[in-house]
Amino acid sequence: MESKSSDENCNNPNSELHPSKLMMASHFLRALFRIQHTTTDSSFAGRSRKIRRAAYASMAYSVGTKRSWSSALLRKLRSRSRLRSPNPRRAKYAALPGKPRVARPQQREMDQAQVLRELVPGGTSMDDCRLLEETTDFVRCLSTQVRLMQAVVDSVSI
Amino acid sequence: MQPSSKEMQGMAGGLAPSAVAAHIALQELQNDGGVDHDDFLDQMMSGLAPAWPMGLGGYDEASLLGSRLRQHQAAGGGSPPNGKSMLLQLNHHHYAHHASPQQQLLLQSMGQPPAGGGGDSGGFLPLPLSLGSGGSGHSGLLVDISREEVDAPFKASDSTKAEALYNNGFGENHQHFHHPQNHRGAPPAAAGKCQVPAAASGSPSTGGGAVPPRPRVRARRGQATDPHSIAERLRRERIAERMKALQELVPNSNKTDKASMLDEIIDYVKFLQLQVKVLSMSRLGGAAAVAPLVADMSSKAGAGRGEADGAAANDGLTAAEHQVAKLLEEDMGSAMQYLQGKGLCLMPISLASAISSATCHPRSPIPGGLSQLNRRTAPSPHAAGDAPSSPSMSALTVPSTNGGGDADISRPSRCKD
Repeated sequence: MESKSSDENCNNPNSELHPSKLMMASHFLRALFRIQHTTTDSSFAGRSRKIRRAAYASMAYSVGTKRSWSSALLRKLRSRSRLRSPNPRRAKYAALPGKPRVARPQQREMDQAQVLRELVPGGTSMDDCRLLEETTDFVRCLSTQVRLMQAVVDSVSI
Repeated sequence: MQPSSKEMQGMAGGLAPSAVAAHIALQELQNDGGVDHDDFLDQMMSGLAPAWPMGLGGYDEASLLGSRLRQHQAAGGGSPPNGKSMLLQLNHHHYAHHASPQQQLLLQSMGQPPAGGGGDSGGFLPLPLSLGSGGSGHSGLLVDISREEVDAPFKASDSTKAEALYNNGFGENHQHFHHPQNHRGAPPAAAGKCQVPAAASGSPSTGGGAVPPRPRVRARRGQATDPHSIAERLRRERIAERMKALQELVPNSNKTDKASMLDEIIDYVKFLQLQVKVLSMSRLGGAAAVAPLVADMSSKAGAGRGEADGAAANDGLTAAEHQVAKLLEEDMGSAMQYLQGKGLCLMPISLASAISSATCHPRSPIPGGLSQLNRRTAPSPHAAGDAPSSPSMSALTVPSTNGGGDADISRPSRCKD
């Protein structure tokens, strides 16, 4: 519902707003433009993948190398573009650990930390403390990016 | 060493109460510096002084010790008085029960714990104390209380004093003399160790307000390996801070449990990533469908004003909508292609209402119908309301919006609710 989305967006206006939203917007729009005009691929999935990659790339690019997740993301995107892996989506949505959930709270925390590490780019080589830091920044950036894309969609559609 | 152990065995029975007290006190000293030093010390001193037998040769030393204790206490050693008073207590017992081996034991155990060492202010002063009028088997208790920073001078004074005392004292005490020397190296560490909990834990001693009659300061858990426990605590605090900051980012988060918070965070990250994916697809759908559909859209927008057309279109579209929904479940691409084949596209509800209200301006970018059916397949298990909320779009087809749009609008929107 729209009301709920507005609630969600207005919930933490200060904490969710990333400082470089304008920069992200410019990068992303430029990437979109490039995609629309240069690609000849008409397959739906391929183009959507390109756009998604562009979204992450613009997000990471605008943050720069200040954060470890952004550098890791950039590295991953660049290497992936060179390798042209068949299904980059799988790497994006990393598989959950296959082992069954152990009831012990510590084990559960370790599992969760592991899952989080796989979700956040560059998270596998971080200790818990830093992982949480990076997650915070990553979430903030991601939500900004989502709102940005939403705004683009809205503006284009109307 | 041997005679002392024999002595100890001999006096085991008589030593029982004092030994218990000694060990208890020792444990507490090891465990906690506590804030009750002053009270503790006062109690010790008050209990000690009158009980000290008059004929004690070392009584002068005892008063000297006491004065020096107070001095050091004023200088700011919490633990030293603790240790000293405890040792004094032991000394007292020692005198009463010839507990020299017990004190040896004490000194030994005191020397042991500070494996980690490294405290700021030491706790033990080298205070030679000799007791004893003419008792065999009396030993001079060498209370090693030294500050770390003033270790050297104390050591010097230690040895001289100790030697002097022992010269005055008893021959068999020479063996005891070795103990203090051994402990002199260790005591700074011991003192440091005992002091560190006091310094580090600062106030959080759980000793409580009223001074218990016994020298019982409640131990604070985790003091056994101090540097590690401190680091652990710091790390845990930092993690807690970050978790709190993260929790504020995640909307509608009211959990306080760490595990569930982590769960929410994970779900939220996955949800955001899915949103990016969905939005990229929606944008793509619009981009792909724009060109071929512009003409169709404009014509349909013009022609579809009539109710009849709208109604007919509506009926026809319900089946198509179902089909689209079905296709969307399996594969986004095929769904979009199906729509394109029919000359339709998806668009947001807001757009649809805008179109239906704007009767005179069928803008061609309209078919940039960048909407996406909000599937319930959003990853967050508890986000029944959350997941669709952000994209805030629903599947809708253009012709239907021009006609009885509301009916169609409501139908897809139920998916979101």
